[in-house]
Amino acid sequence: MEHAAEQHGHAAPVGKTYVLARFETGEALVDACYKVREKGFESIDTHSPYPLHGGDEALGLGRSRVPRIALAGGLTGMFGGYLMMVYMNAVNWPLNVGGRPPHAPPSFIPITFETTVLLASLSIFFGLLTLMRLPQPYHAAFELEQFRSAVNDGFWLSVALPPGSDGKDATGLVSQLGAKEVSTVKESVE
Amino acid sequence: MAAAEHAAAASGADALDTYPLLVGKQDNTTLTGNLLAHVWARPDKGWLLSFMIALSGSGALVLAITVTLVEGIGAWGNNIPVGWAFDITNFVWWIGIGHAGTLISAILFLFQQRWRTAINRFSEAMTIFAVMCAGLFPLLHTGRPWFAYFMFPYPSTLNMWPQFKSPLIWDVFAVSTYFTVSVLFWYLGLIPDLASLRDASKSPIQRKIYGIFALGWRGSGRHWHNYKVGYLLLAGLSTPLVVSVHTIVSFDFAVSLIPGWHTTIFPPYFVAGAVFSGFAMVMSWMVPARHFLGLKHVITMRHLENMNKIILATGMLVSYGYLMEHWIAWYSGNRFEWFVFFNRATGPYRGVYYLMLFCNVLVPQIFWFKYFRTSIPWMFIASIFVNIGMWCERFVIIVTSLHRDFLPAAWDMYYPTWVDITLFLGTIGFFSTCFLLFLKFIPAVAVSEVKELNEELQHRPAPVTVVTGA
Repeated sequence: MEHAAEQHGHAAPVGKTYVLARFETGEALVDACYKVREKGFESIDTHSPYPLHGGDEALGLGRSRVPRIALAGGLTGMFGGYLMMVYMNAVNWPLNVGGRPPHAPPSFIPITFETTVLLASLSIFFGLLTLMRLPQPYHAAFELEQFRSAVNDGFWLSVALPPGSDGKDATGLVSQLGAKEVSTVKESVE
Repeated sequence: MAAAEHAAAASGADALDTYPLLVGKQDNTTLTGNLLAHVWARPDKGWLLSFMIALSGSGALVLAITVTLVEGIGAWGNNIPVGWAFDITNFVWWIGIGHAGTLISAILFLFQQRWRTAINRFSEAMTIFAVMCAGLFPLLHTGRPWFAYFMFPYPSTLNMWPQFKSPLIWDVFAVSTYFTVSVLFWYLGLIPDLASLRDASKSPIQRKIYGIFALGWRGSGRHWHNYKVGYLLLAGLSTPLVVSVHTIVSFDFAVSLIPGWHTTIFPPYFVAGAVFSGFAMVMSWMVPARHFLGLKHVITMRHLENMNKIILATGMLVSYGYLMEHWIAWYSGNRFEWFVFFNRATGPYRGVYYLMLFCNVLVPQIFWFKYFRTSIPWMFIASIFVNIGMWCERFVIIVTSLHRDFLPAAWDMYYPTWVDITLFLGTIGFFSTCFLLFLKFIPAVAVSEVKELNEELQHRPAPVTVVTGA
């Protein structure tokens, strides 16, 4: 935010402005999404109570990075868990239990499995929160009372306006595409 | 029946399915209304009464824990040779109950079983509370629970590491991983619904509280993109996890040398038993909950019937386990092994043994008949019997294997003390307390998933009309 303000030479930081448009159905929203992107608006998002069919393609999103994060976490858990046991029971303090070798691979499998799953799951969860930038207590869209329907029964398109734009072109475009409600919201900046 | 068929056709369900997944014509607005209604409603007398009873149970639990901590585990009926008794029986029983939640939420999700959608939230919550109850017992059984952190690998000044070749340490890792992953999975699934609660709430306080837990979720397409993948991966990880947890619990027994425990069939047999008892527990709660929370249109007879089929299938697996255990005990020619099984059927604990056989082998057989599978009172009664039967199974495995070991001179009987019984009943009270609070404050059905299902059902091509005759 501050960065953008510096770039455009404003004295005070300026919040982003969004055009929010509600559509009747998920399909209408997905269609509108394609058309808005065709007109050159790249910074757009959909808001819906459940994932939209074909929504990822409409937003032009590629493959998710979550699987790679999960793999990294899982591998860390697997090697970390196994090496931890080898270090503790065979290197740092070799422990003779019933004459079995201190480094006993079969006995180390169950915990290796558990640490793999644990670290993979933790990295999925916290990786997701990082990718989604949640928790985010404030977002400009929450300024609009009607936007509360986005998680219940409304299908909303949000277009982030480039700095300096008054949003007339975006507003006109979404109305033309059949939006039922159109509003412009401004991020509040302290 | 004709009405049900009509409803099925109306909601676009399969022509061959008698019962629909969703009753009536629903849209996103009506679903938001009727699935969240029970959260907004003031608690009625029935809820308050049940809550008071459950809370008294939790109070009894606190009392029993206090006595155990003050007196030590000598307050229990455990002795030598019966070193494990009610405590471990309850531990295995509770952890098994938790497994149905993960099975419904993860395994049925991977198999794309759409009937899971209405019941997953409910059973995942059950998993979390059941694992909490389960964890309590080994913790107390250590005798000095305030030193429980000794079981975790941390750089101690005593230069002491855990002994990783012990199944009991495997258990620590399995149960704590299971609990953590279950909580993450549950909470991740809850975020969209918490946002739904936040934005459907009327009062600013509710909005604020649900707002905090919703983390600022706004149904963004860019979020859903990653969310769907993350949820699928967590389901994929939970599936082997749930199998591993009860496998490792069974290792506590199978890795030992006690006749009756030292058996290779234990891992699959324990997992089947866990799913069996877990589904029964879900059933025992779901039948009243769907009635009192007004959820009959999303948790339909189709869900209940499918669950009864799983109870029947897993009941048969458990019965097969019993059969194999007995057969191998005889076929092995090991006289100690054979004696354990002979003693189970004729010894002083034979009553528990026959109760187990009745509840787990005979009772589920009624579900071969559609009448019983679709009769609410029968399925409720059967589920209670299965819960009892599976508790008896763990008691039989643990106590009868220990009380008469290799030397008759060392034989002894185990009788529970009032502390044992209060601890067990107390965890039921604690579980119920948590569950009733869950039913009050959180939607019992995954709202966003049901909306998605509704959308899918409406966009399915119309069922093909089969023309018979000419």
